[in-house]
Amino acid sequence: MRQSRLRQGKTYRNRDWGFLIPAFLCLGVFYYYPFIQSALYSFFRLEYTTDWLHAPFVGVQNYVAVLGSYEFWHSLRFTALFTLGAVALDLSLGMLLALSAYWIHPFFKTLLRIIIIIPWAIPRVIQASIWRWMFNSDVGIVGTLLVRLGLAESPPLFLGEPALALMSVVMAYVWKGASISAVFLMAGLASVPRELQEASRIDGAGGLRRFFSVTVPVMAPTIVIAGLFRTRDALRVFDVIIGLTGGGPGMATESLSTYAYRIYFDFNNYGIGSAYAVIIFIGVAVLSGLYIKRFLERFEFVK
Amino acid sequence: MKKTRWIYILLSAGLFLLIALFELGPLMWMGITSIKPAGTEFRIPMEILPVEPTLDNYAVVSGEDFRIQDAILNSLIVSGSAMLGTLLLSGLAAFAMARTRVSHKRRSFFAIQAAGIVPPIIIIAPTFVLLRSLGLLGTLGALIIPHMSYGIPLATLLIAGYFAGIPLAIDEAARIDGASSIRIFFQILLPVLKPVLFSAGVLSFLGSWGDFMHAFTVSLGLPEARTVPVAILSFSSAFQLQWAWIAAGVMLSVLPVVVLVAVFQRYLIGGLTSGALS
Repeated sequence: MRQSRLRQGKTYRNRDWGFLIPAFLCLGVFYYYPFIQSALYSFFRLEYTTDWLHAPFVGVQNYVAVLGSYEFWHSLRFTALFTLGAVALDLSLGMLLALSAYWIHPFFKTLLRIIIIIPWAIPRVIQASIWRWMFNSDVGIVGTLLVRLGLAESPPLFLGEPALALMSVVMAYVWKGASISAVFLMAGLASVPRELQEASRIDGAGGLRRFFSVTVPVMAPTIVIAGLFRTRDALRVFDVIIGLTGGGPGMATESLSTYAYRIYFDFNNYGIGSAYAVIIFIGVAVLSGLYIKRFLERFEFVK
Repeated sequence: MKKTRWIYILLSAGLFLLIALFELGPLMWMGITSIKPAGTEFRIPMEILPVEPTLDNYAVVSGEDFRIQDAILNSLIVSGSAMLGTLLLSGLAAFAMARTRVSHKRRSFFAIQAAGIVPPIIIIAPTFVLLRSLGLLGTLGALIIPHMSYGIPLATLLIAGYFAGIPLAIDEAARIDGASSIRIFFQILLPVLKPVLFSAGVLSFLGSWGDFMHAFTVSLGLPEARTVPVAILSFSSAFQLQWAWIAAGVMLSVLPVVVLVAVFQRYLIGGLTSGALS
């Protein structure tokens, strides 16, 4: 048996690479190749062209230009604030949703789960359009309700003032993000052993105490992974901003990705745009590296 | 005992309504806006419930000027084909890494997942140039093939994770009987993989359905290559003052995926939980 296995191993080892080739061909053409191209672009002066073979090599000048520009630090600051707010709200609202789905009477359970994941299915840009209408300064439902409930004197200019615009973008983003987090966390909650809950209940721990001293520690790995995952997505934020504020007012809600996109396709400066993109990539890659490493540790490979 | 039961049910109902309002409120508001006669959505004071409900806006968005149904059809074609391609390629790749004796498994797995972390913004410009030189800009091909590739990392992750739970004895028995790897994959393992194929399928479908940056860039604004997100964004910037129309467009284009998610919710939650993130 052992011998035949070994022999099989030798026969199959190389032929079965055929199964991997189609996937790698696609990834090669649409991930590795454009990635390398972008990395190359970032070292050349490329305006209105991407032909780096015939463009002047400028070394790290593009990076120096990006790091020395007001726009970079401005969009970095926005992206960082956005990410902080979005991830914190995503996870805490997601946790509340997951706890509700876990706690609620079985009669409502399936329907509640469907309702929770519906925002997930709606494309971000469409979601942004929906919220743009809801945040309308004259006839938006949010402003009108605030006024009618006596919480504001006149409808706030949600998309017209920088701080409010940031909050509006976060709000629109979190509507969907909380659903995504909730799904991750529901899985984590299901893995908390019932006996542990029971034991601490018998010990006289109240609901809140039980949550923080039993549920949260057991779920910690899930929360960390969900957090990494959500942070990675928030750092790339693009669609919601394009659909909701278009980067405005002024460039108050311009994120790293939306500004890089502008440099590419409005200013046609592929060298500078790529330097931006590479910097974003480095930030995202560090975070995602942690995530993949965790998964690799758990994945069992057939030797 | 009986009393606490009733309180529990009552509290549950209250909680349910609260969450439903948060999750579905924005959609309901779009629904309400979509049945107001165009123009009356700007009335002050606001009519929270439509005074003279009408379906005219739906006729407008499916009429000559908008043709939202074309965008929905485009999206269905693109996301459906991309999903099938993703599942096939990812299934084969996951099979090779989990079940065969190819070399460099760990490296391959890492290389596939590394692709998944590449932010769209870093590949968009060279991809645009590549698709332009292939003459694909403004066609559905410029969407289907890249979307198929973009789905591979997540789908491979899920399917490879699922393989770990399938006993090796199944394919070893077949191998001893002399079955080829291709036969083992398609005839023996594929039926067993059904649940994960559903969840990976729904996820890659939604990924493609929601894509905006790539779809917007390669469609060049042409109606024949416009997917749902691109169409809705271009309506809402072109018809800023007709929100009743935009709302009707949003409602129609959101409908297919809401149905999809409601039907497959079990697989959606199950897929994410079993494979990658537990």
